[in-house]
Amino acid sequence: MPNVSGNVYGLTILSPIIDDPQATPSHDLQIRAYLAKLSTREDSPFAHAPGTHLARLVVMDDVIYVGMPACEEHLKSKYLVFESNLDGGPDGNLDGYLDGLAASIPGHLDAIWQHCVGYPGAANRRAFIEYMKSCQITTTFFFAAVNDKTVSETLRALQTQAAVADFIASHQGMDAARLQREFVTFAAQLNSLPVPPAGSMGPYRAIKTGGRNE
Amino acid sequence: MSNINGKVYAMNAITPMKPWKTWVLRGFFFLLGHIKPLQKDLVDLSFIEFARWVVIPRSGFPRLGRGQADEELKYDYLLFFSNFNGTWNQYIDAFSAVLSKGLNLVWMWSEKFPGSVPVTLFKEYIARVQFDTDYYYTAYPQATANDVKSAHIVQTSFDRLASRAEQASPQEFAQAYLQFVLQVQCHLGETGEPPLAG
Repeated sequence: MPNVSGNVYGLTILSPIIDDPQATPSHDLQIRAYLAKLSTREDSPFAHAPGTHLARLVVMDDVIYVGMPACEEHLKSKYLVFESNLDGGPDGNLDGYLDGLAASIPGHLDAIWQHCVGYPGAANRRAFIEYMKSCQITTTFFFAAVNDKTVSETLRALQTQAAVADFIASHQGMDAARLQREFVTFAAQLNSLPVPPAGSMGPYRAIKTGGRNE
Repeated sequence: MSNINGKVYAMNAITPMKPWKTWVLRGFFFLLGHIKPLQKDLVDLSFIEFARWVVIPRSGFPRLGRGQADEELKYDYLLFFSNFNGTWNQYIDAFSAVLSKGLNLVWMWSEKFPGSVPVTLFKEYIARVQFDTDYYYTAYPQATANDVKSAHIVQTSFDRLASRAEQASPQEFAQAYLQFVLQVQCHLGETGEPPLAG
């Protein structure tokens, strides 16, 4: 299945945006205005809905003309592109993901997709799922660097990584019996912590490695 | 517009292809998907979290009726979506340096593609066919692809040690702990706010 890599599903949706000359502002602009105000951190709608690793929403105004001798052509509709990398399991459970979106963030979905042709609303879950699937384009080739872990497993692993680094740094040279006691306590505390919220920048740590990425 | 969230950059690109050429490209992607060693260079570019190529046939844009005009296109289109760590320039430079043959096999079917080497013309082409992201979300903006891989290595080693920590004698635990530290010491790099690019 080309949409799937391991347990990750690559969802690509193009929803045609309503072209109404009477609408002011235009529907595509209303989508952009709404997205511009939407949080991208832990209070993002996608952080509240289950199973999204990374997602993007893009208003595609037109295809791109690359110059002569290619032909110049244009789309008759603008499209809202929804690209999501999600936990689908080995069977690529897209219905479950879309149902989770409709259940968790119906208000946001309606606010965005109400500007698209034929959108039925998120309240009617069956119709919503059918609509999204009717706008789906099959991914031709999908690559995921880590394709066997869920969002929750990754967030927990990142939390463990930070805590283990601090534990090792603060327990160097300790005698074996005490080290063992403290590790057992540390492991129990760490395992009892809740999974960090999706979309957050993780725990603040004083250790700085520096460096610029340019 | 937000192409960047934390340590991840969202790239979108669209290129036109003559319809008969898309079948050659589909064949290449079929081989790439089924012969894993062909993906080695892509895997080795360890700053890519997720990437996808999507071929849209000229008659394949969603048509929902209700007054929506039918598209009348001569070309099929290749959409490319990438989620990578680092800057745009670093990404294109690395793509051109490491994956030039693979990139040529993907994009040589697109109109006016100049080749991935020399990189200057390649960058000019990518800049022309790229379009910006309106909204970009990631569940773990503090982490790069390598951070995520390392975190799972640490988690696996940690779970293994934790499962036998209580039953071991102090000497056995000390030995196991030393092995644990040796296993994870290269995977403890800090995550957090991204450095400033400029």
